[in-house]
Amino acid sequence: MTFLQVNHLKVYYPVRGGFFRKVIGHVKAVDDISFALQRGETYGLVGESGCGKTTTGRTIIGLVKATAGEILFDGKDLTKLSRREFAQYRKDIQMIFQDPYSSLNPRKRVLDIVAEPLRNFERLSPQEEKRKVQHFIEKVGLHPESIYKYPHEFSGGQRQRIGIARALTLNPKLIIADEPVSALDVSVQAQVLNFMKDIQKEFQLTYLFISHDLGIIRHMCDRIGIMYRGQFVEEGTKEEIFQNPQHIYTKRLLSSIPNADPLKRQEQQTLRQQIEKEYEQSYSRYFNAEGRAYPLKRISNTHSVAIP
Amino acid sequence: MKKTEHSPFSVLWREVVKDKLALSSLLLLSLILFIVYGASIMLDQEEIVKVDLLSIYAPPSAEHWLGTDYGGRDILGQLIIGTKNSFTIGLAITLLTGLIGLTVGLIAGYFGGVIDNVIMRIIDFILILPFLMLVIVFVAIVPKYNVFTFILIMSAFLWTGKARLIRAKTLAERELDYVSASKTLGTPDWKIIVREILPNLSSIIIVNLTLNLAGNIGIESGLSYLGFGLPESTPSLGTLVSYATNPDVLQNKWWVWLPASLLILVMMLCINFIGQALKRAADARQRLG
Repeated sequence: MTFLQVNHLKVYYPVRGGFFRKVIGHVKAVDDISFALQRGETYGLVGESGCGKTTTGRTIIGLVKATAGEILFDGKDLTKLSRREFAQYRKDIQMIFQDPYSSLNPRKRVLDIVAEPLRNFERLSPQEEKRKVQHFIEKVGLHPESIYKYPHEFSGGQRQRIGIARALTLNPKLIIADEPVSALDVSVQAQVLNFMKDIQKEFQLTYLFISHDLGIIRHMCDRIGIMYRGQFVEEGTKEEIFQNPQHIYTKRLLSSIPNADPLKRQEQQTLRQQIEKEYEQSYSRYFNAEGRAYPLKRISNTHSVAIP
Repeated sequence: MKKTEHSPFSVLWREVVKDKLALSSLLLLSLILFIVYGASIMLDQEEIVKVDLLSIYAPPSAEHWLGTDYGGRDILGQLIIGTKNSFTIGLAITLLTGLIGLTVGLIAGYFGGVIDNVIMRIIDFILILPFLMLVIVFVAIVPKYNVFTFILIMSAFLWTGKARLIRAKTLAERELDYVSASKTLGTPDWKIIVREILPNLSSIIIVNLTLNLAGNIGIESGLSYLGFGLPESTPSLGTLVSYATNPDVLQNKWWVWLPASLLILVMMLCINFIGQALKRAADARQRLG
């Protein structure tokens, strides 16, 4: 069963100019993308910065208004709902933010931060609330006594776990993770990612994982969508994308992963140069005159590529 | 583990204590206010503003510590009542403009878009009006002119600056992820404004209100000096200073205007020094402590 279905989603920002500030064009942040999430899987959105992956995530959770298209969650179109009707779906979709430093209010205690969603949706006595917050704080591997501390008393990794605990308190079905580890250093990244995998099993979560780091995507995701300039250029399972990339942009992206083995440095460099050459020669085959990708074409049951 | 206090008030307080000038200013100001408000309870305003023809322009003596004015009224008594009036008016204007400015600024900054545009155009309109001229016109046409109406007239014009400041800070604050997070957690807008954004603006608000307090006392004194402030039956620091428009008083009767002028100077300096210390506290890079 399809759990979340995004159909022809578009997010355009008007560009105003001229004497009367008329709309003279659009920035197409997200331009006609469609994808589907199955329950319990991790779907990765990858692309260079500014390609619209974060906007896609923020549109699904309702922080950005969609210009056109539909987002079907359990058969309901989220873009058509009023604010009041949207509120009940708020519980099912939660978000983990990129920057653990700005996503926690510095003036609030951890208890108040994690209890915020509970206070909005559930009527609990202070004791129950405290017990529940402590339960989730322990789940994310922090000391239960730390609920009386302020965010600045924690490290970056600990702060991100507080953010995760906050997203978990309402028992959501879908979590949108917007580059959840980009702001953390590498040793902490692995810790947070493995923890996210553990709670996925425990709480039956579905992740929409947004990242520009292909190594992390490979570690986390079941299926992957590659975005370029607001459009999908390739979509497929992890194996298909990494073993059998079809679109030239995907190939370029994969060749950019640095190889840790110094002996293979030369090899990697020739591969990169070769793909760069191929990119220059075959650019017009993959992109139309405007420099945009073609519509996706299915080449196997799970694998689609944007080729004419 | 040592628990570090981080509430905005403790930071502000620590900064004031670290700055000797601000601390002595605070003590001096509290002393002045304590004496003024304490003494004004015991003094009778009607008694003080009663004309006494037998002791016109009496120099300082045992009976009148600071002498008397052209109506034979005791200067010390007028000074105490006047300081109380001036400070109360300044404080009331500051709080009222702060309240209006805060509400309008938070709404404009948080919601943005059309609401922000409409509010900001209204503020621009009020700002381009000639403030002093309009206050004088209002003072002339108000039927019953007293302390209360004076506060309202002043507040009607002075809230705009605060609204702009708060709006600018709110605009910066609402882009931060913790506001987005609150939205995704289903917190209603008014709660986000009051519980999330407002506490993060608290130090800037305190600083701005303190610095404005000195300015508002100055404006009251200035208008009274020009003759558009409070009537003589309600003494204020400005009315006392305005006696100095008479060259004879200015040259020969220093006791009429000098104490009031000095008091204005001292109070404004004290408030400004405290305000500067608070301002430093709000900016972590400039802190002393």
